[in-house]
Amino acid sequence: MAQATQDTAIRTGRVTRTLIYLVLLLFALFYMLPLYVMVVNSLKPLDEITGGGMMNLPEMWTLEPWRKAWSEAQIGVEPTGLKPYFWNSIQMVVPAVALSTVLGALNGYVLTKWRFKYDTILFGLMLFACFIPFQIVLIPMARVLGVLGLAGSVWGLVLVHLVYGIGFTTLYFRNYYAVFPTELVRAAQIDGAGFFQIFWRILLPSSGPIAVVSVIWQFTNIWNDFLFGASFAAGDGAPMTVALNNLVQSSTGVKEYNVHFAGAILAATPTLLVYIVAGRYFVRGLMAGSVKG
Amino acid sequence: MGFLDIRNATKSYGAVEVLHQVDIAVEEGEFLVLVGPSGCGKSTLLNMIAGLEDITSGEIAIKGNVVNGVHPSKRNIAMVFQSYALYPNMTVAQNITFGLEMHGVPKADRDTAMQEVAKLLQIEQLLSRKPGQLSGGQRQRVAMGRALVRDPDVFLFDEPLSNLDAKLRVDMRTEIKKLHQKLGTTIVYVTHDQIEAMTLSTRIAVMNGGYVQQLGTPKEIYDNPANLFVASFMGSPSMNLVPVTVRAEANAIYAVTTTESNGEIKLAFPEPTPALKAYDGQQITLGIRPEAITDPDGADRKSTHVETLRAQVEVTEPAGSDTFVTCHLGGTECIARMRADADVAPGQVFDFAVNMEKAVPFDPRSENRIF
Ligand SMILES: Nc1ncnc2c1ncn2[C@@H]1O[C@H](COP(=O)(O)OP(=O)(O)OP(=O)(O)O)[C@@H](O)[C@H]1O
Ligand SMILES: [Mg+2]
Repeated sequence: MAQATQDTAIRTGRVTRTLIYLVLLLFALFYMLPLYVMVVNSLKPLDEITGGGMMNLPEMWTLEPWRKAWSEAQIGVEPTGLKPYFWNSIQMVVPAVALSTVLGALNGYVLTKWRFKYDTILFGLMLFACFIPFQIVLIPMARVLGVLGLAGSVWGLVLVHLVYGIGFTTLYFRNYYAVFPTELVRAAQIDGAGFFQIFWRILLPSSGPIAVVSVIWQFTNIWNDFLFGASFAAGDGAPMTVALNNLVQSSTGVKEYNVHFAGAILAATPTLLVYIVAGRYFVRGLMAGSVKG
Repeated sequence: MGFLDIRNATKSYGAVEVLHQVDIAVEEGEFLVLVGPSGCGKSTLLNMIAGLEDITSGEIAIKGNVVNGVHPSKRNIAMVFQSYALYPNMTVAQNITFGLEMHGVPKADRDTAMQEVAKLLQIEQLLSRKPGQLSGGQRQRVAMGRALVRDPDVFLFDEPLSNLDAKLRVDMRTEIKKLHQKLGTTIVYVTHDQIEAMTLSTRIAVMNGGYVQQLGTPKEIYDNPANLFVASFMGSPSMNLVPVTVRAEANAIYAVTTTESNGEIKLAFPEPTPALKAYDGQQITLGIRPEAITDPDGADRKSTHVETLRAQVEVTEPAGSDTFVTCHLGGTECIARMRADADVAPGQVFDFAVNMEKAVPFDPRSENRIF
């Protein structure tokens, strides 16, 4: 009797599992399709694309579109390719992510372990930053950047993204540190550690998962941002996203779809890399605090 | 003036006063236990000594120096927390030496001090582990090591044993006591466990509702509780509190009560004090410890005032070393602690021996002891 039920249990298990895998596979294929189209077409000469057959594998494999997108395509005045703009983005994203994460961590630390009067109100105000649509701040922000002399520069963009990002990073770190035992901070105080020593030696070493969340979140948002980039840093200081747009939108000559595909993949690579390297910590970090581990 | 002086210390959170005028002088080498029910302000007082909470009014002085407003690290105190608060990212060795490092002690001296403490606490083989890889008892030792290594003037313990299982708790209790006897350091120790308080302390402060109810040696607290709260909080099973009527006669004062089975009972007080006499005819509460009610053969032979009380036995509960016997006195249940082999059976009418030298009278209105 027990044997029989076990048997059926296993059998139904197998059937459902196969079904589940099948559905998952379909979904995966569906989501992979655009990537497939991009990769395949970026490796073809242009006449193979214009001749139809977008889904076909290249008859003649070539890296020429990639080379062209990276270093030759006409984007600004000079035919520089995406290369300089890629570095613009890196120069913008690294300090902006690093600073917003560190400041978010500091804010979280102060808001949970050095409570002061009206700190929750302050935190609430900071959270506002997460809900303000980008478009609303464009004009005031342009004015501020102008006054600061940062208009049109990479540092101007760093500042904008830093200010916008702090709301999110503070939220992450505050929630993470809220469940961090206050007794540890007290023990460190008695041991003679100061404000920054406690932060540096006690809290930060335990903040790995949430730091990963903050970095991934900030990196994807800042790297993929188009609106601020287009508004505040046109021309030579433009980030990758704006350059990619210029590449695709350029009205002169034939549309080189293979180059566009290569450029688009180039623009997406860094965020993909960040997810692949740090992704497994992402979910863990998001869950931390909600589940006691 | 003591080694650690708490003078009229008061603590308020906003408009709420949670500690009222606490006044305690601790001598050097004393083991003071703060005991009381949850929320009575023990941790608050300890944190005020440590400098983790401000003092709203009053003063705290260590070795004659007022430390109000002095940073915790400058008070030369060390604290063991209920959760142990070991730094999770550091090894045991780093945990122990962190405080010394922060105080600028050179590396060589830190290591010597650490080795010494590790040897004392027998945690030498754990030094390279992280706190997450330790058992509860081991964490407890490391937490004590971290406190000991600093060689502080005063040790502060906040319920250090409450996270351990029953057996380990008893073992660690003995160990803390041994350590105190060996090192002779001054300790302030918070617990809500009255047995811990009795066994460890040289003096106890019983607290309730932000007030120190009584400050005294364990024996004073146990034998002469200042009020009904202390009487019922300390001791297990707790003190029997029997409503009795005071009756002053020519040469003695009696506590008169009734039993269901045998009617009126008269128990003579050892001394006819004027204070008692003032209550003539009134009802008071008589506190009698279970061990002061025994079978006639088990009664304290040194006592000169053993009274006999005839009542019906309701329940007997053999507990191995003792047998607890329940009867009714003045309408309340009364527990007697007898020898394991005392000859009692439920339903039997029995002659209980009451040691009136150990009985404590209380005024039921003020709840204070009548002297
Ligand atoms: N930050 C605070 N704000 C307001 N009231 C507080 C605060 N901290 C503690 N209290 C109050 O002070 C009182 C004493 O708290 P305390 O932590 O000292 O109790 P305790 O005796 O240590 O209790 P336990 O045995 O549960 O640890 C409690 O009534 C508590 O509600
Ligand atoms: Mg407490």
